[in-house]
Amino acid sequence: MKIRKIVTLIDETLLEGGRPVSPAARIAVVAAVIENPWAGQGFVEDLSAGIDATASDLGALLAPRVMEALAAPLEAYGKAAIVGLRGEIEHGSALIHTLKFGDHFRSAAAATTLLPAVEKRGPAGVAFDIPLKHFTDATIRSHHQSFEVRIADAPHPDEILIALAGATQGRPQQRLAPLTTEQ
Amino acid sequence: MTITTAPASSVGRASSRQSVDIGLRKVVTSVDEILMDGGKAVPAVIRQASCIAIIANPWIADAPLADLQPATERIAPMVAKLLSDRLLAALGDPSTVEAFGKAAVVGLEGELEHAAAMIHTPYFGNLLREFLEGTSIICFADARSEAGADLRVPLWHKSHASTRSHYQSLHIHLADAPHAAEIVVIAAASTGPRPHPRIGDRSTDRPVTSTILEGITS
Repeated sequence: MKIRKIVTLIDETLLEGGRPVSPAARIAVVAAVIENPWAGQGFVEDLSAGIDATASDLGALLAPRVMEALAAPLEAYGKAAIVGLRGEIEHGSALIHTLKFGDHFRSAAAATTLLPAVEKRGPAGVAFDIPLKHFTDATIRSHHQSFEVRIADAPHPDEILIALAGATQGRPQQRLAPLTTEQ
Repeated sequence: MTITTAPASSVGRASSRQSVDIGLRKVVTSVDEILMDGGKAVPAVIRQASCIAIIANPWIADAPLADLQPATERIAPMVAKLLSDRLLAALGDPSTVEAFGKAAVVGLEGELEHAAAMIHTPYFGNLLREFLEGTSIICFADARSEAGADLRVPLWHKSHASTRSHYQSLHIHLADAPHAAEIVVIAAASTGPRPHPRIGDRSTDRPVTSTILEGITS
């Protein structure tokens, strides 16, 4: 795996709707910009070799960094794969939609649910929104949220940007009734 | 795979008192770790960090040409401390910081002078310089804009501003700021130069004047 750079973002919200958020709501994102493992190979039918060489190492790199940046217990999480213009969206999906990748984060966060994801192809600097859901019950409505990321010079056409995101709580000032009240 | 850099350190917490005192809505910290550029690994990983405080514009309700000094003296030092603390939490000891910069973006209901008041007085600049242990004047960017702004914050060497290898800038993306009555205040720092600096320096330049154009231009 060739890593060009690693970007860490920590977002703290202290006021929302004009009212204090206490404790502050924290979201952390860690993104690695790597060379597309299938770059220059044409249409590769079997992606398993590239997945085996990359996905687990990526999960092992990103998961502990998100937990450290969050510096508090995680309650919601999500992931992203943004593929440069010469790659396929399937290349990004190959790296993040495997247990080899996601289990590192589930293990670090004591989580049990599937990670919601954004998969997208775009030019360097493309904006993307990472969806986050509750880490043990994806139906908990208070924790449905998303976080916007834009990295100016990534991904290059032969790169893939892979990110993990974690949140310490649900939406600031969340006040929707639980899903069960509508049933 | 060998990754020798430490994860970005956890940052301090802003208090709810601060959020009320200065209308602090958000704090965003960003760290770029550059391992490779131009297809070649950098000799030592370069870490570039920015920290952004999104605060209420204290002068929105004031009469035109009101005195900016009282709110500047009250707010700018708090913001300087908040941003410096987070930069140092992300990058480590002040001795690791080699370059610095600053910026302010005012929302559409404010004046550019309001942005300037937050970053161009000793109440901000002297404190940022002291906390990051620099001696240079701090280079800057300023703007008035709608929410969703992108800007580049320039950095240069914290004690030898003319050091060419350390001229660099950071990209800042503000998804939902500044609102019309807000100001975004930014401090930025880097642990090193550009990834592969190789354009010489003042000490190596030969004298260059317009005489080099002789024979080139007609």
